[in-house]
Amino acid sequence: MAHNKQSALQQGLIIFIFLAVLTALEFFIAIAMDAIALLILVALVKAGLVVYYYMHIYRLSSDDEENPESYRYKTGTNRLGLWLFLLSDAFVFGGLAVARFNLLGLTRPHLSQELGLLVTAVLLISSFFMNRAEVSMEHGDRKGFLVSTGITLALGLAFLAGVVGVEWPGAIREGVTPAGSAAGAIFFMMTGMHAFHVLTGVIFLLVILRNGARGLYSAEKHWGVEAATVYWHFVDVVWIFFYPALYLIGAVIVG
Amino acid sequence: MKTMNPVWRGLALLLAGGISGYFIGLGLDTLVSKQVNFTAPLAGLFSLLGAVTAFFFGLVGYHGVTRGLVFQTIGTLIGGFFVTGIRALMGLETFGNFFFTEPAWVFGALVGTLSFLAGVGALTDWFKWALGESTPEHHEDEPGWKKYFQLSLDHKVIGVQYTVTSIAVLGFGGIFALIFRTELAASQLQFLTTTFQAFDQNGLQFYNTLMSLHGMLMIVSILLGIAGVMNYLIPLLIGAQDMAFPRLNAFSFWIAVPAAVLLLSALFLGGFDTGWTGYPPLSTRSPLGVQMFFLGVFVAGWSSILGALNLIASVVRMRARGMTAFRMPIFAWAAIATSIIALTATQLIGLSFQLVMFQRLLGMGFFDPAKGGNPVLFQHLFWFYSHPAVYVFVLPGLGVISELLPVFVRKPLFGYRWIAMSSLGIALVGFLVWAHHMFTSGMNEYLRVPFMYSTLLVAVPTGVKFFSWVATLWQGKISTPTPMLFVLGGIIVFLMGGLSGPPNATVSTDLHLHDTYFIVGHFHDTMFGGYIFPFFAALYYWFPKATGRRMSEKLGKLHFWLMTPSFLVLTFAMMRVGLLGMRRRIADYDPALGFDLSHLIMTVAAYLIFTSVVIFLYNFFHSMKYGEKAEGNVWESRSPEWQVPSPMPVHNYQHAFQVVGEPYDYGLPGSKYVEFMKSQEGKG
Repeated sequence: MAHNKQSALQQGLIIFIFLAVLTALEFFIAIAMDAIALLILVALVKAGLVVYYYMHIYRLSSDDEENPESYRYKTGTNRLGLWLFLLSDAFVFGGLAVARFNLLGLTRPHLSQELGLLVTAVLLISSFFMNRAEVSMEHGDRKGFLVSTGITLALGLAFLAGVVGVEWPGAIREGVTPAGSAAGAIFFMMTGMHAFHVLTGVIFLLVILRNGARGLYSAEKHWGVEAATVYWHFVDVVWIFFYPALYLIGAVIVG
Repeated sequence: MKTMNPVWRGLALLLAGGISGYFIGLGLDTLVSKQVNFTAPLAGLFSLLGAVTAFFFGLVGYHGVTRGLVFQTIGTLIGGFFVTGIRALMGLETFGNFFFTEPAWVFGALVGTLSFLAGVGALTDWFKWALGESTPEHHEDEPGWKKYFQLSLDHKVIGVQYTVTSIAVLGFGGIFALIFRTELAASQLQFLTTTFQAFDQNGLQFYNTLMSLHGMLMIVSILLGIAGVMNYLIPLLIGAQDMAFPRLNAFSFWIAVPAAVLLLSALFLGGFDTGWTGYPPLSTRSPLGVQMFFLGVFVAGWSSILGALNLIASVVRMRARGMTAFRMPIFAWAAIATSIIALTATQLIGLSFQLVMFQRLLGMGFFDPAKGGNPVLFQHLFWFYSHPAVYVFVLPGLGVISELLPVFVRKPLFGYRWIAMSSLGIALVGFLVWAHHMFTSGMNEYLRVPFMYSTLLVAVPTGVKFFSWVATLWQGKISTPTPMLFVLGGIIVFLMGGLSGPPNATVSTDLHLHDTYFIVGHFHDTMFGGYIFPFFAALYYWFPKATGRRMSEKLGKLHFWLMTPSFLVLTFAMMRVGLLGMRRRIADYDPALGFDLSHLIMTVAAYLIFTSVVIFLYNFFHSMKYGEKAEGNVWESRSPEWQVPSPMPVHNYQHAFQVVGEPYDYGLPGSKYVEFMKSQEGKG
């Protein structure tokens, strides 16, 4: 893995470029041809990249600390606890995805694909800055951490505004309403549940921003930052699947 | 008042609180509805809340659980009035049959739950962490019994809290069952008639509510019971000072208390008639009670999920030196298997109930065919948890059986690795069987056969356990003190449950058996054999570890010999009438069916079981103070927790131990399982 700060940041950037290209690719696949398997494959690749390089899942097993009273050992236990929580949470989103395909099959509600791409891009860029924030803290760069976390926070709020403030009213104008049809119900449930998680992530970011500004984290001890980062990327991974499920896969149904 | 025994003080206040709560509720209801209704929902609800809160106030004062309940009540009212105010501004209906409207109750109940947690102090340390303050690793509990009614981070205290709460909920569920069992003793309606009125329900509706709540209260009781046993034992068995996340552990327990309050409140807020399964479309049309039921289950689910997370992390990260995977106590394997299911699948019942709640509140059409929804989807989501859930219930119990058998047979556990793997096997196969509940529900027909075979596959790992137990018993020096009696009873009853299972898994026979009393008999056999009997065995066995005293053997044996035959008669009679066509979940049956005698026998048996549990409760609480002293290794166990004096010291083991041999090598001369180290070094 990347040892110095420069190469770690570089790796984050390369992964971001990959993700951006894949996101553009899936958008064009969706409008150009009817290839659901390809869309699922792209989503899986994107999720894999985030889970490995941004959420560094491999850290779960790279734990060589022996002394159970040490900060490192306890962080390893905390990390396992967080991943177990994410596994549990993934079942909620998995259940929603199952409900979506059970109810709508290969159709999708009438939504603006461009707006969907835009909010997806915002969330993706926020993940890039989240990664920068964590790398900065790992190398003791408090100022870099604060700037990147601030940008992530702003992008998270922009995503929320985009979904809840623009997309929801827009969908309602198009006739996709919570009480109108099962398609509307599932759209609002999926985006609502995801937005709720983004909101909790934003609160988490506020906490680490405040505590980071007060100098409570260091290059050696920053479990709070790592936890917020992994959680934020997890919420992004969920969207990597929800975005094609709601905006790209299937033929449009009205209402 | 100062010199009065706190228990009597609590009971006196219980009466006073119940009566004043009743009149406050009655007054509010009269104010809103402009007529006096003596069984008004609000009067019942406030009576219960007042009684429980006042009882705890008398017992421990305004601390811990009392503060939580006061906060919950106030939080619910604030939340309810908040939504009511918004509705008033929007020009919507403000007050209804149940005082608040449905959205106001739901929001109020959520605010109330969070308020309870804040009131009891379960969130305090996390708030401090978020503000960047540090807290001590461990909080010291005050000595004495009051710590059991307050927030404690000690896994042993939390284990006892879970267990006692579980027994309390079991009491409610059992009494509800007795009430409707009494109605069933003879054909025709006797007292739950159409003219009966309570909490906005007539007799038949009340029957449905009691029957539905019996199911869910028992399930919550079981979840709390296994959590209690696992919480108390796992850190002791693996040689840890505490669980991996003590605050999360306390949170997991305390969130179950407002959940129980929510479930009980369903009884008063109009009840519900769906059974514990809550299928739409019926649940979308049920009275308000069904929302409280959904919320109660949702909140209790979080207790289960977070408890499971904690257990897995503890077993993975905090084992003693030398305790490799296959030198763990067999109970730890069972706890891991059960936790894997509870951690993941529980989310799906939470989701399915949430979707129905949203359908009721906002008209979202997930399960409404008129809007393109699909009611069968609910059943898939629901059973994806609710079938594996029964393995959550029984796996720890089967673990207790495997743990105790070698102790009382004085020879090694047969096939340790096979038993360990069979627990995981049951858990994993359990994820693939849910749709066997839906053979008659109109799902795609091609799904029937694969689900039939996957269900029958469960018999393989379960059979491995049975053969291992029989082989362990074979040629052993069997002694039968009370815990061993319950172990043997558990094996026999669970065998009955297991053997009556395949007919339900097989499509052709299930089409006939579905929704009959045969299912009820089968299910109660599995639950008693897999949970109730081993749970009692565990309580009798580890009681000296927790209290330093023994429960009375005489009363324990009376409990066993009264409960076991009564229970077998009860379930055999259930299966008999079920085979002959008795439907489940109904308040009455045709006298021409000739079931009267069978039902009378069942009711008598149910009362005998109830009596035996009362004997147990007397034994349990009496022995805490007056039982025979037992501070040593009462059962001559090899397990580490019995190598130190009872009751267990506050921080568990003073000297860490390391594992030097196999856990169950009973009867092999010179073999050792654990060895205590002199210094504190290498503690883990």
